Amino acid sequence: MATTFSEVAKSTRKKKEIRLVGVDMYIITENGIPSFQDGEFGPFKCEFISNRGTKVWPGFVSPDLMMVNWYRCRFMATQDVQDSNVDAFLATLSKKGWWWSAAQKLWTHDGEAAYSKAY
Amino acid sequence: MAQHVVTMLPGEGTGPEICEAVRSVIDASGVDIKWEYEEIGLGCLEQYGTLLPDKTIKNIAKNKVALKGPTTTPIGTGHKSANVTLRKVFDLFANVRPAKLIPVLKRPWDKIDIINFRENTEDSYAAIEHMVSDEVAQCLKVITWPGSYRIADFAFQWARANGRKKVYCVHKANIMKMTDGLFLEAFREAAKKYPEIEIGDVIVDNCCMQLVRNPAQFDCLVLPNLYGDILTDLCAGLVGGLGFAPGANIGDNCSIFEAVHGSAPKYAGMKKVNPSAVLVSGIMMLRWLKETAAADRIEKAMFAVLDERKHVTYDVGGTATTDEYAQAIVDKMHAGK
Repeated sequence: MATTFSEVAKSTRKKKEIRLVGVDMYIITENGIPSFQDGEFGPFKCEFISNRGTKVWPGFVSPDLMMVNWYRCRFMATQDVQDSNVDAFLATLSKKGWWWSAAQKLWTHDGEAAYSKAY
Repeated sequence: MAQHVVTMLPGEGTGPEICEAVRSVIDASGVDIKWEYEEIGLGCLEQYGTLLPDKTIKNIAKNKVALKGPTTTPIGTGHKSANVTLRKVFDLFANVRPAKLIPVLKRPWDKIDIINFRENTEDSYAAIEHMVSDEVAQCLKVITWPGSYRIADFAFQWARANGRKKVYCVHKANIMKMTDGLFLEAFREAAKKYPEIEIGDVIVDNCCMQLVRNPAQFDCLVLPNLYGDILTDLCAGLVGGLGFAPGANIGDNCSIFEAVHGSAPKYAGMKKVNPSAVLVSGIMMLRWLKETAAADRIEKAMFAVLDERKHVTYDVGGTATTDEYAQAIVDKMHAGK
């Protein structure tokens, strides 16, 4: 039986059903907004790209928007994927010359998106 | 043809009635403005499927200046804040929030005249959040060199143009050495162009304590987004609350002026709320448009009406409706001619 605050807190954890649905890639480039072809990364397709949290692709981009050399590129899975698909995706991305600072897997928790959208 | 074309965003809840009252005052000041009304907020969801329709964005992009009433931001879940989206879309990087004592509103302090310059587009507001396990959430705090430099540069330029003497950077760089450290470093770099202005820095928690103990010591403050969000409301509280707090969101080519309070939906249609926050935001807008004489006329009349206390709204001890308060300001302006 939980007795300390920490133990009580841990005991309230709600287990979620977790499903891999995509990857956020943080890409560094001096060449403007990255561009990807559908299908070039197998089951992962680029859904949007943001810079400093503001969506810069697809759709309207204010000419006033100041961008830095670090882009968040959200790739969503087009079919059921496993961690091994992400490994292959990262390898392909590097092979194609994309320099990236980090990758964050995207999951759903009990069917709900466990990640934010860009503004 | 009107001298200025301004997008009016009445917002929701009490926003429309407030904005109509404010428009009546601004129009009576003699300034020549053509208002173009556009929609924003929860009311747009059904018709457009978004809180911020494209036609609203296009109209603001055309006019480059807007006056905005309050909107409601869903908490925890649901759609993104229309306010934050506007700031992001137009890169309105400088949130300028003056906190100045209104003579009639008696406070424990005898002098507060602070201009807050809140970086408006980065920090924890970059909308990069993930559940990184089923019991851990993570939000990326994004601070960039150009984003930090330009808000500091903007603040110094504003200070120079308005005769302000001191600009201080608020941060937590003792703990967040990379992010707040970069913000502070960019501030110091920008400061080199303004040698006549005294600079300094203060850790955010100490700044809060100092603001409550001795707010008169501060002149201009430059803050990252999150601290700015919190401290600007603290400053508003020091001078009488959000009911009198103006706000300007300024970018390189576009500016949106807005009240920073909520939309108070439970009072919608009752015409009892105080429109002063939108009005003083409108006064800021007029000064931004170089309509200084009209801005001064409205401000003087508003202070006079508040001072008389005969036609003020319930929140400042009166019984006047929104419209009666606005009309009293108009009458005072006309009497002052």
